[in-house]
Amino acid sequence: MPTPDTATPGTATTSTGTAGTATTSTGTAGTATAAAATAERLRTAPRTRRFTSRPGVAVAALTALLPLAAACSRTAKGAADPAAAGPPKAGGTLTLAVPYGPTCLDPHQGQADALFSRAVLDSLVWQDEKGAVHPWLAKSWKISDDQRTYTFVLRPGVTFSDGTPFDAAAVKANLDHVVAPTTKSAGAAQLIENYRSTTVVDDHTVEVTLAAPASSFLSGLASPGLGIESPATLTGDPKALCSKIVGTGPFASAAGFTPQQGISYQRRDGYAWAPEGAANQGPAHLDGLTVRVVPENSSRLGALTSGQADAASAIAPVNVAKLKADPGFAVQSAVAPGVPFSYNPNTEKGALSDVRLRKALRAGIDWPLIVEKLYFGVYPAAQGPLSPTTPGWSKAVADQYTYDPAASAALLDEAGWTARDAENYRTKDGKRLTLDFLYVGDYFGPHVALATQIQAAAKQLGIELRNQNLDAGSYVKRVLAGDYDLLNSSNNNFSPDGLRLIFGSAHIPTTKIDNNAARYHDAGVDAKLAEALAAGDPQKQNSLYAEVQQKVTDDVAILPLFNNAYVLGTSAKVHGVVFEQQSFPNFADAWLSR
Amino acid sequence: MIGAVARRLGGSVLVLWGAVTVAFLALHLTSGDPVDLLTGLRASSDGLRAEIVREYGLDRPLALQYLTFLLHILQGDLGDSYVLHLPVRTAIGQQLGSTLQLLAATVVVTVVIAVPAALLGAGRRPWVRTPVSLLEGLGVAVPAFWLGTLLLGVFSFKLRWFPALGAPGIDGLVLPALALAAAPAAVIARVLRRGLEQTLDEPFVTTARTRGVGEAAVRLRHGLRHGLLPVATLVGWLTGSLIGGAVVVESVFSRQGLGTLAVTAVRNKDLPLVIGIVLVAGLVYTVVNTAVDLSYRLIDPRLRTREA
Repeated sequence: MPTPDTATPGTATTSTGTAGTATTSTGTAGTATAAAATAERLRTAPRTRRFTSRPGVAVAALTALLPLAAACSRTAKGAADPAAAGPPKAGGTLTLAVPYGPTCLDPHQGQADALFSRAVLDSLVWQDEKGAVHPWLAKSWKISDDQRTYTFVLRPGVTFSDGTPFDAAAVKANLDHVVAPTTKSAGAAQLIENYRSTTVVDDHTVEVTLAAPASSFLSGLASPGLGIESPATLTGDPKALCSKIVGTGPFASAAGFTPQQGISYQRRDGYAWAPEGAANQGPAHLDGLTVRVVPENSSRLGALTSGQADAASAIAPVNVAKLKADPGFAVQSAVAPGVPFSYNPNTEKGALSDVRLRKALRAGIDWPLIVEKLYFGVYPAAQGPLSPTTPGWSKAVADQYTYDPAASAALLDEAGWTARDAENYRTKDGKRLTLDFLYVGDYFGPHVALATQIQAAAKQLGIELRNQNLDAGSYVKRVLAGDYDLLNSSNNNFSPDGLRLIFGSAHIPTTKIDNNAARYHDAGVDAKLAEALAAGDPQKQNSLYAEVQQKVTDDVAILPLFNNAYVLGTSAKVHGVVFEQQSFPNFADAWLSR
Repeated sequence: MIGAVARRLGGSVLVLWGAVTVAFLALHLTSGDPVDLLTGLRASSDGLRAEIVREYGLDRPLALQYLTFLLHILQGDLGDSYVLHLPVRTAIGQQLGSTLQLLAATVVVTVVIAVPAALLGAGRRPWVRTPVSLLEGLGVAVPAFWLGTLLLGVFSFKLRWFPALGAPGIDGLVLPALALAAAPAAVIARVLRRGLEQTLDEPFVTTARTRGVGEAAVRLRHGLRHGLLPVATLVGWLTGSLIGGAVVVESVFSRQGLGTLAVTAVRNKDLPLVIGIVLVAGLVYTVVNTAVDLSYRLIDPRLRTREA
């Protein structure tokens, strides 16, 4: 079957919104339209990702979002919810248009497409936007002194939508399912990589044992990737879970997901176990939620503005201002936590293994200006290896991200790139200063304009930046060989432990794709990251993570461009939509005024 | 006639086998380890990779993988999609109806536009012919993507006459079928019109007119039949272009369908799914072409006498 010359615009990639997965650089998959791409699923890949939707398999998405001050917890009011809206009204079905569907509904497998699974699946614990952990399906828990045993007391009276009671055996079945080889978990298993086993103590008590302390364990359990599914559904072929999942959540979907079409959810009337602190402790206000896959940006926006959809995600940055100005609509957005959309310099070999050149690149290009020009302020410019909505974010490094072309030129001179050739590029020993940026067009699509702007800015410095669009196979080969100067990555992760996936030397891609695209190897950083993971004291953790952020900034191991954001356009009739810490919208408290 | 059909069907089987083989080789010989693609170019544990290799038999020699594939296909088993986590039959089945509906609607719209345009425009005075000819040029020149976006903007978002979100039923088919039919309708109208014009200059038409047959009857009864021959030769090309155009149109109108499924499958090196789609598309293509070849004989009695 012939394929069209043009990829369809607007296909998005996905990212996984799992907490904790990192995406990286490499080619990520999925592209979304630029603006749109996004955030819905940020998938992680050590490829770089783009924010995305999924292409099928792999995609990362860029999210398009605007920043809210912080992602809100479910206790917060959505931005589109003026106080005048009054008390919530029950009833109605909300239609949401999204750029791509999930690769697999089951968040234990593949990428967790959190938006799709969260409506159906609850988790053991809930994490608010400050990173604090609250009871949910587990009403309380104790951590042993050696940080290796977690004892959870479960909430009684909770049922799955298929009638199965939620109990200790269900927790064990779920955690074992996540790590089972046949599940082939890409993201969720990484969130609890130190997991060893679960013991059922009694109907409502479980003991989870870790192989080694992991301060990110509760954060992992809180993520949508560790949503609890009905144990009866976990015993068959995992593939069946990709189109249909059963949980204890405020909605259920009897029919499941149809590729390229969408999914419909119905309210569960008996729902009474919302997380501690949620505004709505009872059943959802909405009768139902319909999610439609609409790949084209213009079609999603048109569906929203013509009233055919009540909400549309991944609104293109170029359309955000106009939609905001229209009193019939609102735009909410949330900055994704994790590592920003970045360029990752190869610190191991090639020209950029000289830290002076990396510093010159950082100081010599007005990165925030380029971001602002292309994304209209919808994606905020990044100033550090973590986005401000990430727990453990350190503000201290921001002042190192200042535009200083004079300093940049001095650094290039100092490094010996003083001569100029006929095209005014800098040379050294007769060799031109050339950098190769690799990307996979399918996944990077919407950001080609960005790469072009950066290329033009580099030329001003006398650096020839070659943007090379490769097929996925060639890309993987060159990444594994370290045959590149720059890659692109982003990583949506609600834990500062994401730094370990991006800068830990164990994650340098050599035999398989991995997330340390800068090939950064620093024994001190490795030690601090390991220590932070094992530390029980949050203050100790945060000071270690702050030191790591400082060190990788000093070493210019990353060139952050912008923070991903999830941008949701809604009609003025939509209220109560809030963003989870992973920066995707949650409809448990949403309602429609008529 | 029977012999001709048998020969065609034999040829079709060879064509399908060739198509499947080319698809298999293309996906395997382009660079890139399917495992990397199946893990979404993302970080993955060695355990995950080993599990994927085991499940899909990616560690076996290529020749063995190929033979296994062929054997399964012969048994009607298309395997499971690597990416969608569904049997290929299910994945295609979910989308096939929607695409066939779109293609059927497009064929209807094409005929409804092209035949009257050709009959009206053929050999008339310039004030009739020129606008028809201009529209033909426009129809060919306008990309389906652009036309689809325009139709959607005007008739769905502005006027709200038709739904935008891949709605089921006739309502949801009108705009996509129009967008997809524009180019084939224009090409067929032009070819048919030229054929008609040539026919109307033939001596037998003059004879008919001198017998007092009216203009409409001459065009419909005599002209159309002759004018159809060159159109019939275009049908194979049209089938291919419609299948390709469906990809774009399905995406613009957020319709389910094989087109978008195919793009995703190729991009992800989802071999079983690609092969399944190639088989379906090849089947449609050969069936249409066989039907066209046989229809020549119905349109043109001269071919029947040359039967070997």
